[in-house]
Amino acid sequence: MNLEVVNFLSAEIVLVVAALAIYLGGAFSTSQKVWAPIALGAILLSAVALWQYGAKPPTPILPAESATWDASPAGLGVAAMVYGAQNTPVIADSLAAYGRWLALAIGAVMVLIVWRPLAMGGMPEYLGSLLLMIAGLMLVATAANLVLLFVGLELISIPTYILLSLGRRDPASQEAAAKYFYLSVLASAILLYGLSFFYGTAGTMQLSALHSPMAVPTEFESLGKVAMVLIVAGLCFRVTAVPFHFYAPDVYQGTTQANAALLSSLPKAAGLLALVRLIVLGMPEMEPYSWHIFLALSILTMTLGNVLALWQENVRRLFAYSSIANAGYMFIGLAVGLAPGTASGLWGGIGAMFFYLCVYAAATLGTFAVLAYLNRQRQQIETVEELAGLGRTHPTMAAALAVCMFSLAGLPPAAGLWGKLMLFGSALNVESASGGPLRPWFIALAIIGALNAAVAAYYYLRIVSLMYFREPLVTLQAEGGPGPYVAALLCSLTVLVLGFYPGPLMKECIEAGKSRELGAQRWEQVIIRESSGGKSMTER
Amino acid sequence: MKTLLLATLFLPAVAATLTGGGRMQARCWALVASLATLVGAIVLVAGFPIGAEDFAGTHWHWFAAMDKALDIQFSVGLDGLSLWLFALTALLLVVAVLVSWEAIKDQESLYYRFLLLLGTGMLGVFVARDIILFYLFFEFTLVPLFFLIGIWGSEQRRYAAIKFFLFTLAGSVLTLLGLLTIVLWDWNSGSGHPMTFSIPELTAHLQAHSMPYHLQVWLFLALFAGFAIKVPLFPLHTWLPLAHVEAPAAGSILLAGVLLKIGTYGFLRFSLPMLPDAAAACMPWMLWLSVAGILYGALVALAQTDLKRLIAYSSVSHLGFCMLGIFALNRVALQGGALQMINHGLSTGGLFALVGMLYQRYHTRRIADFGGIAREVPVLAFFMLFMTLASIGLPGLNGFVGEFLLLMGMFQRAWGTVATEWTVQYRVISVLAVSGVVLGAWYMLSLVARVFFGPLRERKHTEPITDLTLREVAALVPLCLVIVWIGVQPKFFLDRMAPAIDQLTGQAMCAADPKEELAQRRKGASEQRNEEMDDILKSAMEIAREP
Repeated sequence: MNLEVVNFLSAEIVLVVAALAIYLGGAFSTSQKVWAPIALGAILLSAVALWQYGAKPPTPILPAESATWDASPAGLGVAAMVYGAQNTPVIADSLAAYGRWLALAIGAVMVLIVWRPLAMGGMPEYLGSLLLMIAGLMLVATAANLVLLFVGLELISIPTYILLSLGRRDPASQEAAAKYFYLSVLASAILLYGLSFFYGTAGTMQLSALHSPMAVPTEFESLGKVAMVLIVAGLCFRVTAVPFHFYAPDVYQGTTQANAALLSSLPKAAGLLALVRLIVLGMPEMEPYSWHIFLALSILTMTLGNVLALWQENVRRLFAYSSIANAGYMFIGLAVGLAPGTASGLWGGIGAMFFYLCVYAAATLGTFAVLAYLNRQRQQIETVEELAGLGRTHPTMAAALAVCMFSLAGLPPAAGLWGKLMLFGSALNVESASGGPLRPWFIALAIIGALNAAVAAYYYLRIVSLMYFREPLVTLQAEGGPGPYVAALLCSLTVLVLGFYPGPLMKECIEAGKSRELGAQRWEQVIIRESSGGKSMTER
Repeated sequence: MKTLLLATLFLPAVAATLTGGGRMQARCWALVASLATLVGAIVLVAGFPIGAEDFAGTHWHWFAAMDKALDIQFSVGLDGLSLWLFALTALLLVVAVLVSWEAIKDQESLYYRFLLLLGTGMLGVFVARDIILFYLFFEFTLVPLFFLIGIWGSEQRRYAAIKFFLFTLAGSVLTLLGLLTIVLWDWNSGSGHPMTFSIPELTAHLQAHSMPYHLQVWLFLALFAGFAIKVPLFPLHTWLPLAHVEAPAAGSILLAGVLLKIGTYGFLRFSLPMLPDAAAACMPWMLWLSVAGILYGALVALAQTDLKRLIAYSSVSHLGFCMLGIFALNRVALQGGALQMINHGLSTGGLFALVGMLYQRYHTRRIADFGGIAREVPVLAFFMLFMTLASIGLPGLNGFVGEFLLLMGMFQRAWGTVATEWTVQYRVISVLAVSGVVLGAWYMLSLVARVFFGPLRERKHTEPITDLTLREVAALVPLCLVIVWIGVQPKFFLDRMAPAIDQLTGQAMCAADPKEELAQRRKGASEQRNEEMDDILKSAMEIAREP
């Protein structure tokens, strides 16, 4: 650890310090109202810090000049590359920048959603945990080291256990919290087990070393597969991909709107970022196998999520299935990104997935913000039917929710369409020049994805039709306060603006998705330089 | 002209965002906006030079901030194919506003907002010159119409709105995949140019360097999924009667008048020019489906007891004629099919407007509840008869020209070309199609007879019945004028349309009968063909003039 790293991580440090201060302050102050502005201020401060110290252009992790070859870690005979003398734990590529800004944006909206103090207190604990989770997501995005990556993921999981038990105190809520706790711990354990295999085959904790073109020795190849499967299983829990999705409907239903919003965005983003870091960037030698896994998971996840969502009456349960289905769409991008020989960049899949993630997060957070706004103080919206007639009773919120629904359903002018367009386009582009053997698989994937989008439109439109085509059944009190109101407007406006002008964000996302290509190029440069310098690259 | 096209395109949408206030303000505002749109469209039509391919075009690099590779453009322009559909949309938008004037009594400002948004969506579909922009507008038209049907429709409106939406969406997502594949294939096909989404460029590339046959067939099917549902081609028409019956009058007018044309327009704009070999190969099947639609629609229409349902099924039948003309794949039939798109928009738009007016007066759409009302509402009866005659193809009115041309083309296909294994089927199809015309006259005339003539029925409502107001007449007269105009001077319309259609579908026509076209080409095709076209038109006019 040196000062540079501290500077670089100042955004995360601000958040953690603020979280601790809020935890501590909560013990001395009985006021519930001051904490949300403080948390929002901390996020803004963190954004400033990120702007100042973290938003470097995607330069190589360390200049190639300082790269040295260290050929003997762990006595495994694996040639591992360790960058420089410092062995830096962080990486400052476009992927990191993307993930960190996304984390801050999600965090700011989440603070707005929970602006009004909870009925039974616990505001400081809630907000402190929230800030820790944001810091966790930022760490996941920027970690270049297996340990730091895992710490980041745990920094998301552990505060979630606290959040789930705050806010509601009824059996359903406790069931939700317990269910999430046990399964999450199990998932973390599986992931950790996978990481240990990863370390075993690679011989280093440094993710950057694994970009190396020197593949794992053949005798460890099967271990690499084990590592991959375990890591995918552990992270699929966070992404709520089938078959690790079972907890989601129960947990969402049993918790508050705000918690459901959080669960459907933060862990999902973390899981996807970690998957890109570990599987796409970290295990290039596993490509012949990994795309099969993600293709199958994608088809299963989106189909199951969409079909089951059709019958849901509980609004959070419905959106739990919707979030499962959306995880399936995003896996299209991963499958494409992992397909051997795919051009990265524009139609490379990963960039499309990142863009989709942003749009999905905005639409989902907006949806839950509307629901949170409509809550009564003691009782929240439970069934979809309660939304009937919202177009008359709360026209602004109904419009915001409708925009989010259209975005999720992938209809213009909302941004969801661009996300789907990029994802399906990337799938159609796989081997479209050569007409290779993978092509039919990905065309089938695109067709299944497109049909799923049509199925999904049913339940999204059902909500719109309830809001606008029905008379109100109950008068909704709408005691959510100004925070969720602003959050809902912010999210739906984001979705609309991105619908009309997606270019700049798309560009950033594609940059983030290009990390793989940049990594490979960087390594080629290093190798050329090293080999021209006459040094031997490896000493096996 | 550039600015004018952009202004005309976005005027309804801008008006939609600005509108508000009470009923009077909202509807006046909507009327002003739609009239201004119509004026813009008329100026554009008047200034349209014959044969222009990109009139009043604007091409703005929408995604300029991105990689050069993703050059999705905001690219709009008019050509002969889109010109009349564009004008038709602007005209029907005014009619729709006038028809809604008294009929809408609930959340008016929201209503006119959606109506105007729908206007921009529809105009955009026809002027888009970028494949993605086309798709955006194509999908966007669903959203306002969904609300129009769902909020202001009749009893089963929620079911109808969702069914309409899902049906169309299910098809159009496959169309999206097809369009994307075309773009990607063009990019990867090795010619080295950057990725383009521009429709004219793609058309030119694909005509110079055509796709492999099997890929064309798959893509044809993918595009078919979206466009055929929109048309709607038998047997994918089941959403249509429901949506029409439940929609408010203005919704029905725009749905029948414009939105169905998006399907046929899609075939003319994408399937035929970009996938000519597949289009030629699918010709027999498409013709069978079209003729099945013609007969099925007509027979089902005969059995209807609901006015709107009857006209909805007549739309299925008439759109079958359009598709028949398009997929007979020769010059005469294509022109007839394209003209018939406009004709159907005018006459069926008018019919739905009239049914809306009837409903407002009698509060029923059951045919059995009417009878002899020509005595009560003579002016309405006159317009109804006029629209009916236009719709069944009375010589001198527009329907006749379109049907004549497209049937003429179909007969050429069946008898006039070198015999192939399909010729017998073509002949059967032609004969069946002609019988569809007879059926059409039967159900439409019997409708008019049952509703307007015969003994007067007793009514449940005792409120006095008034005849058409000036506003309602004002909504119908422009339609009637254009109907007569097309009927007596079709050349004016065809001249502007023909070059674009010839150019777009030339390859498909060649693919449909290679020997024939080769011979024609040697003779210096186009002039000779123009003369032939004029001859046919002349003979049509002569028939029309006969007593």
